[in-house]
Amino acid sequence: MARDSYDDSYTRPVRRLLLAVLVLLLVSLVLIWRIDNPRMERMRAAIVDRYVPNMEWAMAPITGIARMAEDFQSYTRLFEQNQELRRELQQMRAWREAALQLEQENARLLDLNRVQLDPELTFVTGIVLADSGSPFRRSVLLNVGARDGILDGWATMDGLGVVGRISGVGDSTSRVMLLTDAASRIPVTIMPSGQQALLMGDNSANPVLDFVEDPEDIAAGDRIVTSGDGGLFPPGLLVGQVVFTSDRRLRGRLSADLQRLNFLRVMRSHPGTTLDDPADLIGPPWPPVGMVVDQSGALVPDPSARAEAPDPDESE
Amino acid sequence: MSALSTRHVWTYRALFVVAALTLITLKLLPLNLAAVGVPGPDLLLLLAFAWMLRQPAVVPLGSLLCVFLLADFLFERPPGLWTLLVLLASESLRRRRLTMSEFPFLLEWGGVAVTIMGMVLLNRLVLWILLVDLDPLGLTLVQGIVTIVTYPIVVAVSKFVFGLRKLGPAELEAL
Repeated sequence: MARDSYDDSYTRPVRRLLLAVLVLLLVSLVLIWRIDNPRMERMRAAIVDRYVPNMEWAMAPITGIARMAEDFQSYTRLFEQNQELRRELQQMRAWREAALQLEQENARLLDLNRVQLDPELTFVTGIVLADSGSPFRRSVLLNVGARDGILDGWATMDGLGVVGRISGVGDSTSRVMLLTDAASRIPVTIMPSGQQALLMGDNSANPVLDFVEDPEDIAAGDRIVTSGDGGLFPPGLLVGQVVFTSDRRLRGRLSADLQRLNFLRVMRSHPGTTLDDPADLIGPPWPPVGMVVDQSGALVPDPSARAEAPDPDESE
Repeated sequence: MSALSTRHVWTYRALFVVAALTLITLKLLPLNLAAVGVPGPDLLLLLAFAWMLRQPAVVPLGSLLCVFLLADFLFERPPGLWTLLVLLASESLRRRRLTMSEFPFLLEWGGVAVTIMGMVLLNRLVLWILLVDLDPLGLTLVQGIVTIVTYPIVVAVSKFVFGLRKLGPAELEAL
């Protein structure tokens, strides 16, 4: 009895040796993580991939019950909420009218313009499995991964606004770093004034807007959309609204409801046009096919192309 | 000596691992996504310390290593660092407990408090040396303090729910 009790074995040098070996191993693990970060992060993704989907059977009911409890709490405020909703409904009716008119106008204008909405912007929908479990990291885990073609860096939205971006992809799970995470920085445009800014998460509910050129030109309630700078996000996705805090800082109130993330859309990004050379024009290839530029700078038909494919009027 | 039979020890070892896995899973639940403010206590650490100081045999090095390494990977911490600190801290606590004939609760709590604060600061120092992005200092300290304050609750739960009673010095010396 009690042969394996701790106090018995402590005096044995075997234990010390074991401890020393473990310490060495762990130190080297930390160092490897620091030196070869991407590989370790892939390993982390693989471990998460193994553990979290296996726990789903246990996690799903608990999450459901907890959410039900949360909803039940809100029943206690039912009367206030009802009043509030009635008021909001009144306002919404007015807005609906405005929206209908705008929709008609928009349809007419689109028809005039023959605009096509970006056909490449498709999305994959995932369900939130787990959160980061740490008070210092704001991220969630989705049940879609490399198997579904998810890549690092893609934008993620809930129904309304941007939630964050993919950082870390396992085979069947992927991690979304939320905009509120302290490591999150995305380039945005503030809408009516068109100013560029950087939305920087700082672990609070409303990320900071920084590097704004002219804060005087921005009013509370201005829309924040992604700018697509750096090819990171598709441009024009709704992020939120500008709010001023009491310390005169600009912050963004996110349109996405981070409290109730359930289904998320991962937007399939496509690399935008990048400007590698500041002097280059973006446009069709110049000179056009079949033409060359002569010494005086004028466009003339390419003699070699003409030789290969004779003009139709010559053949007549 | 029924509290020290091999079967008892192994039951509680299994119970420790199950409780730790449950805590990890609970922390991973996507419930408090937008919760900002006072970070919650590190219950996993408290569980390990409380059980180890009650009955050292039920929290062997192996369980500590597995549980905390898994937590490191799942909670997006630098893998291995927190585990390393936990192992070292638990060794120092064990040693301190051994040298002391009397181990009243206040003294135990004080020892745990000093250890946890030391771990938090050491963790920060190592991350700083390794040039890793640091979490806000205020939040880190607040989490340490919240963790320390929660210790008696974890001890009470261990005692009254799990029935883990503290071994007296006589029982330990008898071994």
